[in-house]
Amino acid sequence: MEAKYDFERKYREQVLKCSRCGFCQAHCPVFGATLRPAYNARGKMLILKEVMDGKIDLNDELIETLFQCTTCANCYTNCPSGVNVPEIIKQVRKDMVNIGSCHPAFTGMNEVLKQHTNIYAEDEPEDFEREKNKQAEYVFFIGCVGAYREDESTLATLALMDRLKIDYTLIDEVCCSGVLEDVGHRINEDLARKNIDLILATGAKAVITGCPYCTRTFDNRAPYAALKEKGLKIYHISQVLKDFDIDVKTDKIVTYHDPCDLGRHCGIFEEPRETIQKIAPNFKELPHNRMDANCCGAGGGVRGAYAKNSIAMARRRLQEAEEIGAEVVLTECNSCVHNLSNAKLRKQNFEIYNTAQFINQLLDEVK
Amino acid sequence: MDKSTRQSLIDIVGEKNYTDRLIDLVSYSYDASEHSHRPGCGIWAHSPEQISEIMKLASSKNIPVVPRGGATGLTGMAVPQGGGIVLDLSRMNKILNISIQDRLAIVQPGVVYADLEKALDRFGFFFPPDPASGKVSTLGGNVATNAGGVKGAKYGTTRDYVLGLQVVLPDGRIMRTGSRTMKSVSGYDLTKLFVGSEGTLGIVTEITLKVNPKTTAASTALATFDDLEDAGHAVSQIMYSGIVPSVLEILGREAIVAINQNTDLNLPEVDAILLAETDGYTTEETEYQLAKVIDVFNRNRAKTVKQATSEDEAAELWKARKSAYGVLARIKPSFVLEDVTVPMSKIADLLKGIKAISKKHNIMIATYGHAGDGNLHPQILFDKYDPDQARRQEAASEELFRLTIDLGGTLTGEHGIGLQKAPYMTLEHDPAAMSVMRSIKKMFDPKNILNPGKMSLEN
Repeated sequence: MEAKYDFERKYREQVLKCSRCGFCQAHCPVFGATLRPAYNARGKMLILKEVMDGKIDLNDELIETLFQCTTCANCYTNCPSGVNVPEIIKQVRKDMVNIGSCHPAFTGMNEVLKQHTNIYAEDEPEDFEREKNKQAEYVFFIGCVGAYREDESTLATLALMDRLKIDYTLIDEVCCSGVLEDVGHRINEDLARKNIDLILATGAKAVITGCPYCTRTFDNRAPYAALKEKGLKIYHISQVLKDFDIDVKTDKIVTYHDPCDLGRHCGIFEEPRETIQKIAPNFKELPHNRMDANCCGAGGGVRGAYAKNSIAMARRRLQEAEEIGAEVVLTECNSCVHNLSNAKLRKQNFEIYNTAQFINQLLDEVK
Repeated sequence: MDKSTRQSLIDIVGEKNYTDRLIDLVSYSYDASEHSHRPGCGIWAHSPEQISEIMKLASSKNIPVVPRGGATGLTGMAVPQGGGIVLDLSRMNKILNISIQDRLAIVQPGVVYADLEKALDRFGFFFPPDPASGKVSTLGGNVATNAGGVKGAKYGTTRDYVLGLQVVLPDGRIMRTGSRTMKSVSGYDLTKLFVGSEGTLGIVTEITLKVNPKTTAASTALATFDDLEDAGHAVSQIMYSGIVPSVLEILGREAIVAINQNTDLNLPEVDAILLAETDGYTTEETEYQLAKVIDVFNRNRAKTVKQATSEDEAAELWKARKSAYGVLARIKPSFVLEDVTVPMSKIADLLKGIKAISKKHNIMIATYGHAGDGNLHPQILFDKYDPDQARRQEAASEELFRLTIDLGGTLTGEHGIGLQKAPYMTLEHDPAAMSVMRSIKKMFDPKNILNPGKMSLEN
């Protein structure tokens, strides 16, 4: 039988390898927050199996589960059969878009980026009071969430880089648009071209990103291949910070939330911990950490499309911070900071920051 | 679901706890077996009273009801073979009471095994059955299947810990069985009747479990054997030694080769590997026991014996056994994981027989499992989209069951009968036993609405 969809052509064997053991239920954040098996990775694979078997067809009814996946990959790394669910989901979302079935939030996202320079469709770029597009050793690429929603964190990160005398420049950045790949669409080539041109014009030897998703996009997505071809290195800010000895300490109980995009997707687990442990002797791991870290619920477009469940996932993550008595929850992703902060309950007394912001704050306090 | 039934169900549980949406019906069609069937609807139940109303309605309208927990079962027992209602109990997930002074925990059926484990750990206690699916399987499901795990030889299975139940019967009556005491001979043991009944007699809505203090020390050793018979003899002789290891696991050659081909563990490609663990409260105690086990290994011509000297080393020794399921799950598109169980003295005969069956039907069977209680997991690997392979798998399974029964064994040690083994029930149970089982089913569930089609109870 001729395969009808690309997901089947690419991933038929993978889908069939799902042995339906259901072990992903222990790891899938959407299942954890809802206890609804249809949302679990197994539920999604079963639907695709039935599509391949010709029992059902892709249609609008399936949007609710196929577009409700944070692509956190916690199922994949724990799957006894090694089924790469996030990649399969990303492909089937493209198939869905091809037949005209897409969550309106994601159709909207794609449309917004045809007309605007950022996913929030903000007209005025935030002013971070720094000269842009100058010649420098590094380009600091903020990312949409850092620029438009977590600007305080970004300002603090920039202040810290100033303190550390890192020779960087900002650029008139536009959305890297990597997230479109996750929600059934494709990276916007015009935006990619614009970013590449601006970065190359600075003569920088490397791009430092404030957002781990931008790191992934620049690092391994075809439209951005020019960056590496021109010899530029791509770093996340956490990889840069670990090389500095910052003379400041906190007594607080500090923990670290691994962002999926930085941890499971880029394999960067230890660098942030190195930095944090230097400043926080009372560092405590969350019960689920590194490869097993639970998703904050923001990824894969879920925060925009399924806000209630996204917040429920963040609450489950914060529950762990509460259990270990953390006073400060650090992470390395503005999306995580944003979602975790939104989900924080009043009774939860801990603070939530990106590592750079927290360090900068400590330095401000000793000044 | 017809319109009026649908409305009646919604009246009982509320709109948001009823679903007949395609995405839910697809996921409720399956468990971890190769079986599937679409239900009419799914319901998220929250209380015994709701379930009682649902059962009354289902009884009056002859609608099948299939209880479901984590749906990690390997025999199709959560598959709604007759359609009807899938009753998802996973949201009844409260630990109602942990009373260490009474040595018990009272839980709702949707509590995940690992969550109870975590809650008990604070008190230094545990609920021993430890099924491999414990991170996701629910205690209601553990009761329904009488779940077991690697520690079965020493600590038994779920049945040995269930003290009492609350059950909703098919006609809607709510019944309590057993007690909160450590022992009771008051009347028939209705509690144990429900353990392993696969959701065919009633819906378990509350479980009272005996819990054990956790041991604090363990010693681990791994032995390799060039000859299967030697490994088999070692297993039965350990039982003579006066020691009951907390773990005694076996890996057969095919499983070892598959693990080597798919990992970098570099195991010696021998006929069998035995992994033993002894537990207790002091190292002296566990080492003393392990020394006896190792002595048996050596006397049975073990090729190598390695004893772990640290927790890390013990974890290394466990790697091969722990990787078996995952490795074997990746080799072919489909597999059937059996759990035949024989008297411990027959382990070697069973392993030899499995090898012959594999050869005869030209199908890969890799075996590992709980040698300590005679419970092996032959994993038959095939491609179910190839009709010839599917046929050979069925033939191999049937022959495996016949062999097991001939060796004085049982079809299933811990997974249950479900749909998968229903056709073979009469191989193991004589006509009188089958007739009694069917009478019991009829008495509890005269209309056959609870999980119909399972365990060969209809005739």
